[in-house]
Amino acid sequence: MRILAIIPAYNEQDCLEQTIRSLESTCPGIDYLIVNDGSTDDTKQICERNGFSHVNLPVNSGLSVGFQTGMKYADRHGYDAAVQFDADGQHLPEYIIPMGHALEEQQADIVIASRTLAGEAPKGARGTGSRIIAALIRLTSGVRLSDPTSGMRMYSRRMIGEFARGYDLTPEPDTVALLARRGCKVIEVPARMQERQGGESYFDFTHVIAYMSRVCFSILLFQWFR
Amino acid sequence: MSPTLRALCVIGSAITFWLIIRRVKKASVRIDDCIFWIVFSFALLVIAVFPDIPAFLAHLFGFMATSNFVFLVVITILLMREFTNTLKISKLNSRLDELIEEQALQAKENEQDER
Repeated sequence: MRILAIIPAYNEQDCLEQTIRSLESTCPGIDYLIVNDGSTDDTKQICERNGFSHVNLPVNSGLSVGFQTGMKYADRHGYDAAVQFDADGQHLPEYIIPMGHALEEQQADIVIASRTLAGEAPKGARGTGSRIIAALIRLTSGVRLSDPTSGMRMYSRRMIGEFARGYDLTPEPDTVALLARRGCKVIEVPARMQERQGGESYFDFTHVIAYMSRVCFSILLFQWFR
Repeated sequence: MSPTLRALCVIGSAITFWLIIRRVKKASVRIDDCIFWIVFSFALLVIAVFPDIPAFLAHLFGFMATSNFVFLVVITILLMREFTNTLKISKLNSRLDELIEEQALQAKENEQDER
């Protein structure tokens, strides 16, 4: 089974190298692709200096475009599965292989690395947001997810094609809900995560509002027309 | 329509016309995208110079005041314009994303071919 880890990176000079080193040493058999999303720091230089596998988006375009670029790459190079993997060190590479096994054995389309199943549910405002989204997904698609906002998701070959050619498919929970409703099998495996190891999060207040409104409207309203 | 409203229509028409022509001169807007504004500016001028036209239509549709009719028409036209602009921008964004993705992947392919 050939797995590609897609690693969107926007201004991740502080932790990218460490993330890739740990990915390479933990999962030597797994290919990865860093998608440098028009970073203004040394992300690109770090990739070039170390010979990391990467593509450079010519301008900053956001997570969805970065992720779709990775999915197109996976599609064109015939990968069996692709996993969304954070550049900031939050996601632990030791879970990639187990996720691949779960995908294969249970013939799933999407495998989510769930912090809740590992006994570390997101807390505070993040936890509340996560529970709201989980409730909306259960309400509309009947799928029970313990950690819908987990950013570490693995997709099957069929989903790679879907993302590579689809219209407006974000790597976010609303898309998981949409695909689940269309009959894709979504499962979860327990996984721990770390605090980000450096750099800054996309998620300031305005981004949180934009994220929550998009996800909620998308699940409650738009998915019925897509 | 009151003389004030007619005067405002003329002023609005002149300003719109001037703004758009200035942009054409500066080569910062395409002719295709100006047509709407030129027609809009011309229409404002027409209703200011011939208030009988909106008055007749307002009466026909049962409006109490011609100005109400004029406001409604202007608002509707602008909203429709805003809607089509949203569609256009959305389409442009999709195309741009597509180009960015293809360019990035192509650059990687080229680099690998060179090696």
